[in-house]
Amino acid sequence: MHDELISQLESHMAARILKQPGRRIAADEPIISSGLIGSFDLIDVALYVEEAFGVRIADTELNSATFDTLGQLADLIQSRQSEC
Amino acid sequence: MTLAQIAALTVLAVGIGQLKSGRQLALLAVSTAVLFWLQPLEPLPTLGYWLPFGTLALTIISWVLTSESAARSWSQTWPAAAVIVGVAILVHLNGITGGRLNPAIVSPRPSQALFAIVVTAGLASLLWRWKAPQPFFRIGLSGLIVLAFILIKAPGLVGAAVTLWRSLPLVRGSVDAEVPFSWLGFSYVAFRLLHTVRDRQAGRLPAVSLGEYVIYVIFFPAFTAGPIDRVERFAGDLRSPLELRNDDWLDAGTRLVLGLFKKFVVADLLAVISISDVLVQHVKSAGWMWLFLYAYAFRIYFDFSGYTDIAIGMGRLLGVRLPENFNAPYLKPNIALFWNSWHMSLTQWFRSYVFNPLTRRLRSDRPSLPTWLAVLVTQLVTMVLIGLWHGITWGFALWGLWHGLGLFAHNRWAEFTRGRWPAGSASPSATRAVGILGMILTFNFVAVGWLLFGLSTPALAWQALRMLVAAI
Repeated sequence: MHDELISQLESHMAARILKQPGRRIAADEPIISSGLIGSFDLIDVALYVEEAFGVRIADTELNSATFDTLGQLADLIQSRQSEC
Repeated sequence: MTLAQIAALTVLAVGIGQLKSGRQLALLAVSTAVLFWLQPLEPLPTLGYWLPFGTLALTIISWVLTSESAARSWSQTWPAAAVIVGVAILVHLNGITGGRLNPAIVSPRPSQALFAIVVTAGLASLLWRWKAPQPFFRIGLSGLIVLAFILIKAPGLVGAAVTLWRSLPLVRGSVDAEVPFSWLGFSYVAFRLLHTVRDRQAGRLPAVSLGEYVIYVIFFPAFTAGPIDRVERFAGDLRSPLELRNDDWLDAGTRLVLGLFKKFVVADLLAVISISDVLVQHVKSAGWMWLFLYAYAFRIYFDFSGYTDIAIGMGRLLGVRLPENFNAPYLKPNIALFWNSWHMSLTQWFRSYVFNPLTRRLRSDRPSLPTWLAVLVTQLVTMVLIGLWHGITWGFALWGLWHGLGLFAHNRWAEFTRGRWPAGSASPSATRAVGILGMILTFNFVAVGWLLFGLSTPALAWQALRMLVAAI
């Protein structure tokens, strides 16, 4: 389940955000602190997560302290889903 | 702050950190007293007392309006309230008897001080019990904080406010027009308060006691120059038992010494050769102008990051891990990463409460809006507001505009290159060369922007810029 989630996030981010459909993003690769995705892209990621997984990430949580890798984002999504 | 003040505050931090019990109340008492102690001389003598008092009153009212009524406990509240009122009375008495704590404070009449304490306590009690209209009051409170913020940041408005204040019957003494108006620490206080009000409105604010809340807002190591922490993180540190190990002492000591060196040696030396209104009008050579500009760029970094190091070091002694504010900003290869590393606690605040909500709104409600336009609007609005946070002047607004346009250009460039030159497609040496080139370009972009920040008018900045460009 966790790996599937990461894979789904990876393919969305590569194709829609980075515009590089074949690009691999490792589960532990920093995506925010490294500058791979910018602050504007981060909102698109949040909207996608909200739409695809029904999980809201608050505006105050959109930073590298809350999640900086796809693995951490997947953890966050799963923990929010289990709260519901 | 002066070296003597920093030394005294460090001794106080060490002392409070050693307390086995009553640490929070001691921290509250000292933070409240420091609020009055550091307040500089005001054009109206009694403002030296009223401004710190106003900070306390506003903070207490904000706590009442942001705390969940179910989470409020009277047994936790009264000791904190007693400490705050006790310190305010002691400072007032001290002012009446000669003002040794802070000669800049001229205490108002005892009847006026007592009246102000009773009114604040009465208002807080009323709001404590009157739950239904609190959402409306929270909106009013946000408006009041923003209004006060605008008032102190706009030089013209301050003059008008001082004249108005002078006409009030509460005021004693004459106006000293030579002394600048300064509500010490309010830039940071206001943003901490607004963060709690906004999070309470969104239902995300955790329960914190009055003592924890007031300490968070006026925590003495971070009171005058930040960083702007988040209350839930800060309160978590306050609640943790404090046991300083050798590593913590070493860490705190290193940050303090490093901060003092940056601020009082490097920054103060660079200040001698940094651009200023006077220098700009006398420099005849472009080479010297570049040198003075670079000196200013490093001076402002060492000055501000030095203060942050001091605050973080002092915080460690008290068991509070304040957030970092700088992460080698001048070594970043682009302007977006620069802004992820410069005054990080302020930029994070603006991302959380301005940029992200605005971008989310535009992306959700107006999907037909072209991406480039949405990026332009959100970057410009955010960066101009960050500029105005430093002061409501044309120079700061244009400085924000400069950076907003820089971020927009970088965003568009990143978008353009993404599909064409994916990361990893170039050789390591080419990637390194591009990184170094980007770093040099970013540093110079930021340095030129400092002209608008460091000189008093855009006209002077333009004059300096023309000379800089003539050399290229």
